Amino acid sequence: MVASVIDGVRVAGIVSCLPGRRETLDHLAARFGEETARRIGKATGITARHLAGPDECTSDLAEHAARHLLDRLGWAADTVDLLILVTQTPDHLLPASGLLLHRRLGLATSAAVFDMGLGCSGYVYGLWTAAALLKAAGGRRALLLAGDTTSRVLDPDDRAVAPLFGDAAAATALEADPDAPPMAFTLGSDGAGAPYLTVPGGGMRAPDDPKHLFMDGTQVFAFTLREVPGSLKSVLDLAGWSMADVGRVVLHQANAQMIRHLGQKIGASPDQTVVALDNHGNTSSASIPLAITDALAGPLTSGPLRLLLSGFGVGWSWGSAAVTVGPLAVCATMSLDSSTASAETAG
Amino acid sequence: MNTTDFLLALDEMLELDPGTLTGGEALEDLENWDSLAVISFIALVDEKLGLVVEGEKLVKAKTVADLLSLAGVAVPA
Repeated sequence: MVASVIDGVRVAGIVSCLPGRRETLDHLAARFGEETARRIGKATGITARHLAGPDECTSDLAEHAARHLLDRLGWAADTVDLLILVTQTPDHLLPASGLLLHRRLGLATSAAVFDMGLGCSGYVYGLWTAAALLKAAGGRRALLLAGDTTSRVLDPDDRAVAPLFGDAAAATALEADPDAPPMAFTLGSDGAGAPYLTVPGGGMRAPDDPKHLFMDGTQVFAFTLREVPGSLKSVLDLAGWSMADVGRVVLHQANAQMIRHLGQKIGASPDQTVVALDNHGNTSSASIPLAITDALAGPLTSGPLRLLLSGFGVGWSWGSAAVTVGPLAVCATMSLDSSTASAETAG
Repeated sequence: MNTTDFLLALDEMLELDPGTLTGGEALEDLENWDSLAVISFIALVDEKLGLVVEGEKLVKAKTVADLLSLAGVAVPA
């Protein structure tokens, strides 16, 4: 397990962006039957999801979120030294979609840009990478973009996965600040999990197979219970926090029952544990920042909050973070259609 | 947690009337035993007994009695 503490970097703002199209339990009832739709809603805590249209890519959602974030922070695009895009649903095989965003956002040619191919663990991995590189490279500002359009790599008639996944992307601004409180991270990987959560088709190994997501939910949940509680406890120890010191626990939002169960297992109270997936489903690497902008915009714009984060899934890959965030100048959820932000408080 | 309590918890999880399950039922005959129920089952065993059921073993379970056995709960005679 990698354990690291990074100081001197703060989170300045977070903006999430959802596609406009929305699918509800009524849509699922039409495809799978009323009873199945009702049970899916009850068992997962997911009642609606936002889905990208056929012409909408992760980069489009990320671009909207990043533009709004830069605008509200008053950051000129050419002051961003580092852009990292975490996605498994890029526009093209190459170039990396981060480079397309470099152009679309108008970043300077002096900026470092790359993509990271991670899913549900990707936000924590991205935060760790962005903070570490900002520190190591002596940069000032970084944009961490994370998200997926998973609905575009699954079969809409596959009852095992279609009702669970939604699309979203989020932009997080990080800035060098000598007074920033330390961020603690623990990270792990186990490639033995590769067959259980995968889109085997469409890559070089099986280029002509359909790009359809397969998930063995039993294996995913068993892996989660095996690795995540220990990862969270380790990062608390690393930060020198007890659970009582934590303001909110924001876990990867895949299943409400799983979140509550994990929260209980690590000794978090229901009030500490954020459950914010009912209107979004599992949005892959965007799920943690989306839950933050959705559920914590008020507390994070008004003051600092100690957050315990954990992302876990495809890989297997997992990462936990203990970070003090806020007051944020912007913490908002917006829609690609209207380009309007809700639940926002400008600082 | 004794056998009766565990069967009652399974009844509730599968939306059956209390006392429905006795142990001999084949899982494939239970309408609500699906991937979502499997997750609920793993959570139930972990919560009540502090035990994480191995996924590989769970997919091989054929009957309610197999579930009880995986959870380490006495199987009814």
